[in-house]
Amino acid sequence: MTQRFALPREDREFTAVQDVSFDIGGGEFVSIVGPSGCGKSTLLGLIAGLVPISAGHISLDGQPVDGVNARLGFVFQRDALFPWKTVAQNVGLPLLFRGVDAASARPRVADWIARIGLTGFERYHPHQLSGGMRKRVALAMTMVYEPQIVLMDEPFGALDVQTRNLMENDLLEIWAQSRRTVVFVTHDLEEAIALSDRIVVMTASPGRVKAVYTISLPRPRSVTEIRFHPDFGRLYETIWKDLKDEVRVGYERSRQGLAG
Amino acid sequence: MLATSGVDKVSRAEVYLWRVVLLGAFLILWEAATRRGWVDPFFVSQPTVLAMQIADWIRTGFIFRHLVVTMQETIIGFLLGTLLGVAVGFLFAHWEKLARIFDPLMVALNAMPRVVLAPLFILWFGLGLLSKVVMVVSLVFFVVFFSTYTGIREVDRDLVNNARILGASPRHMIRHVLLPSALTWIFASLRTSVGFALIGAVVGEYLGSHEGMGYVISYAESMFNATGVLAGLLVLMAAVIAIDIGLQRLDARFSYWKPVPK
Repeated sequence: MTQRFALPREDREFTAVQDVSFDIGGGEFVSIVGPSGCGKSTLLGLIAGLVPISAGHISLDGQPVDGVNARLGFVFQRDALFPWKTVAQNVGLPLLFRGVDAASARPRVADWIARIGLTGFERYHPHQLSGGMRKRVALAMTMVYEPQIVLMDEPFGALDVQTRNLMENDLLEIWAQSRRTVVFVTHDLEEAIALSDRIVVMTASPGRVKAVYTISLPRPRSVTEIRFHPDFGRLYETIWKDLKDEVRVGYERSRQGLAG
Repeated sequence: MLATSGVDKVSRAEVYLWRVVLLGAFLILWEAATRRGWVDPFFVSQPTVLAMQIADWIRTGFIFRHLVVTMQETIIGFLLGTLLGVAVGFLFAHWEKLARIFDPLMVALNAMPRVVLAPLFILWFGLGLLSKVVMVVSLVFFVVFFSTYTGIREVDRDLVNNARILGASPRHMIRHVLLPSALTWIFASLRTSVGFALIGAVVGEYLGSHEGMGYVISYAESMFNATGVLAGLLVLMAAVIAIDIGLQRLDARFSYWKPVPK
C-alpha cells in the first residue's frame, strides 16, 4: 500500500508511506519501529480505516478495510479520554455506542476498572488522574468491547520509565489472557523487542518496510527482566544496525523541514 | 469580579474593608460637594436623594414593573439568540460549504452597529416587546454563533477519531463529543452574551418604548431629572451584578470536569 497526502498551499503531494506490505497473523503481537516521521502513525490510521487509502489495499480477515471496523480497537498516543465524562462513563462509552444495555454493561465496566486497578476512582474525571492512570483508563476503554485487533500508537511514550514498564507488563498480561492481535507502533526499540513476536522496521520518509524480525524470546515475559536475557542484546544490536541509518536520515530531513 | 492572584497575600477581610472605605469616602465627598454648593445637584443629584428615590420606587412597586419588563425581554431574547446561535453554529461547522458561502455575510452583519439598527427594529416590530427581543437576539446570536462554531471546529481530532473507533454513530458524536466540546466555548462566552442581552433590551427601550428600565431612564432624562437617570442606572447595575453572580455559580456547576481555572 501507498499513502499520499496533498500538501495544502503547495502544488505537490507528500508520500507518507510507500509500497508497504506485510501480513499479521491472528493473536500476534507485532511492533512497527522507525524514525520519527516515517509514517508509522499513518499506517495505523489506514489499518483503522480512519483515513482512506491512496493506493493498494488492506484487508482484515479477508475483508477489505472500508471505513472504521467495529472489531478493532485503537489506543492513541495522547490518551483520548472524554474530559467531561467520569472514569466509569469513559470505560462504558464504547458499550453505550454499541447499544449494549446498561444492565449488562455495568459489570463489564466494573470488571475492567478493577483489572486496571482503578476501583474507587469510578466517579473521577480524567483531569483528576495521573498520566499513568489515564493511560490505563484508555486501555480499559479499548479492551472493554473485546476488539479482535488492537492498534496502539506509541501509547506509553509520554509516561515516565517506571510507570511505563508497569504498563507494558500489564499490557502483556492482558494480551496473554485474551490473545488479541496487537499492532504496536513505537520508536523505542527496547520496548518493541520486549513486547513483540515480530518487529517491522520502517525506513525514513517515505516509509517502506526495511526488514522484519522474529523475536523468539521466551514467554511469558516481564519487560524489566527480559532485558537480561542473553538473546536480547544480540537482537537489539542487529535491529539497531538497521534502524540507526534511517534514524539519521529522518533526523536530517526533519531538520530541513521535509518530514511530516 | 477580577481574579485575584495567589501572590497577593492581602486578606479577604482587608479587601472588603478597603472597598467599603473607598465607597463610603466617595459618597461622603459627593454629598458634601453638592450640599456645600461646589457642584450643582441639578446635574449630579445627591446620594441621599438617590437613596430616597430608589426607596420610594421600591415602596410603590414602580420599579419592579419596569424591571420585570426589561428582564422579560432580556431572557426571551437571550434564549432565542442562544438557540439560534447554537443551531446555526452547528450547521456551519458541519457543512463547510455553507460556512464558506456565508462567511462574508456573517462578518458583515456582525460588524453592523446594532444600536443604530434599533430605530429600524422599532419601526418594523413596534414599540412593544417584539422589537426589544429582536434587538437582543441580534446581539446574542453572533456571540453564541461564533463560539459554537469555533467550539466545534476546534474539537480535539483525537477525540473524534477515538469516538469513531469506539463505534459512535453521527448522533452519538453530536451528543457525546461535539456538543460537550462546544458547550465549554459557549459557557466561556455566556457572561458576555448575557451582558449584551441586557444592553440590547435597555437600549431598545431607551430609544422607543413605554415601559422598562430604558424607558424609565429616558423619561427621567427628558424631564432633566438627573436623580431619575442615576437611580435607574443604579437599579440596572444591581440587576447586572445579581445576574453575574448567578452565572458564575452556574459556570462552576457546569465546568466541574475542567482543571482548576487559571
